[in-house]
Amino acid sequence: MAHQAHPYHMVDPSPWPLTGAVAALLMTSGLAIWFHFHSTILMLLGTVLLVLTICQWWRDVVREGTFQGHHTPPAQKGLRYGMILFITSEVLFFAGFFWAFYHSSLAPTPELGGFWPPAGITPLDPFEVPLLNTAVLLASGVTVTWAHHSIMEGDRKQAIHSLTLTILLGGYFTFLQALEYYEAPFTIADGVYGATFFVATGFHGLHVIIGSTFLAVCLHRQIRHHFTSTHHFGFEAAAWYWHFVDVVWLFLYISIYWWGS
Amino acid sequence: MAGRLLLRACATTLRSNVALRPLYRSMASGGGIPTDEEQATGLERRIIMGFKEGKDPYSVRVPKSYSATKEDPQIVPCTGNKRLVGCLCEEDNTAIVWFWLHDGPSQRCPSCGAYYKLVHNELPH
Repeated sequence: MAHQAHPYHMVDPSPWPLTGAVAALLMTSGLAIWFHFHSTILMLLGTVLLVLTICQWWRDVVREGTFQGHHTPPAQKGLRYGMILFITSEVLFFAGFFWAFYHSSLAPTPELGGFWPPAGITPLDPFEVPLLNTAVLLASGVTVTWAHHSIMEGDRKQAIHSLTLTILLGGYFTFLQALEYYEAPFTIADGVYGATFFVATGFHGLHVIIGSTFLAVCLHRQIRHHFTSTHHFGFEAAAWYWHFVDVVWLFLYISIYWWGS
Repeated sequence: MAGRLLLRACATTLRSNVALRPLYRSMASGGGIPTDEEQATGLERRIIMGFKEGKDPYSVRVPKSYSATKEDPQIVPCTGNKRLVGCLCEEDNTAIVWFWLHDGPSQRCPSCGAYYKLVHNELPH
């Protein structure tokens, strides 16, 4: 069968990197076309291709790891490094938006009235829905840890229950945040306050949706018996990502919602 | 969902002659989550099973360190009859001494004189 003397995974040729690159090209140029010529077809085509690429690429990773046994301990270590590096890059991504927020809010310009929140802005009460959101995400951090321990201890029923609960809490956060967005008395166009608020919390919300999706895939895989009590890195990666999303929210809450009000 | 339907079908067909218990709970683990012992496959399985027998055919672990003297040469496993050796004569050296190690009597590092001996490994498959 395999005639290698090393434990690493030399992947078979795959079309998904190419389709992913084409999708990225169509989405970006499609965005420009939409802005200038009011046509969304190119961007939508790119998005469809992106979704297809994502599903098929990661489906192949599951096949290679779970069904073909290519994810040996050293290969798994490489995957761990990869996920950690990716999350680190995301931390730096959010660092930029926090920089922008603090740049504008620590020394508010005369145009804003010389104070923060700027003149004319009524910020959201940090002790209302935002505090509930904080509790929801912290609770989801507990339930995802519960799920991890359940998997390690071989308890299928509890693993499925706690992972489902985690996803429901994530959905509840998204629902509450959507309501807040609808009801907010200011918009993204309301000066630098609106811009920093909605860009930072908006990207965070997108990451909550991505994280919830990742966890949902893990739930599906757990139900289908993919994970073993000692080898379940897909789940660990999702849990790491989820904790990262939680931590970003805590920073958002402290900085923008609480201090920034 | 299909998995659950399948398991329910198995439980139903088995019900007539076996004690009521979902298929996945008859695993050694009991709690319903399989172990690597039960479910690992392919290269991963070969590596894990090899470890249990004290073998490391895929060079996962750091190779065992010998004193590299004439009586106790550093063993270098090889699937062919020669292998490149890089000798780091002393810790923190920045220059690695590279040489081919051939089948046969021990060879010495041209720089520090450490003894190396090629030993055959079957190509795992």
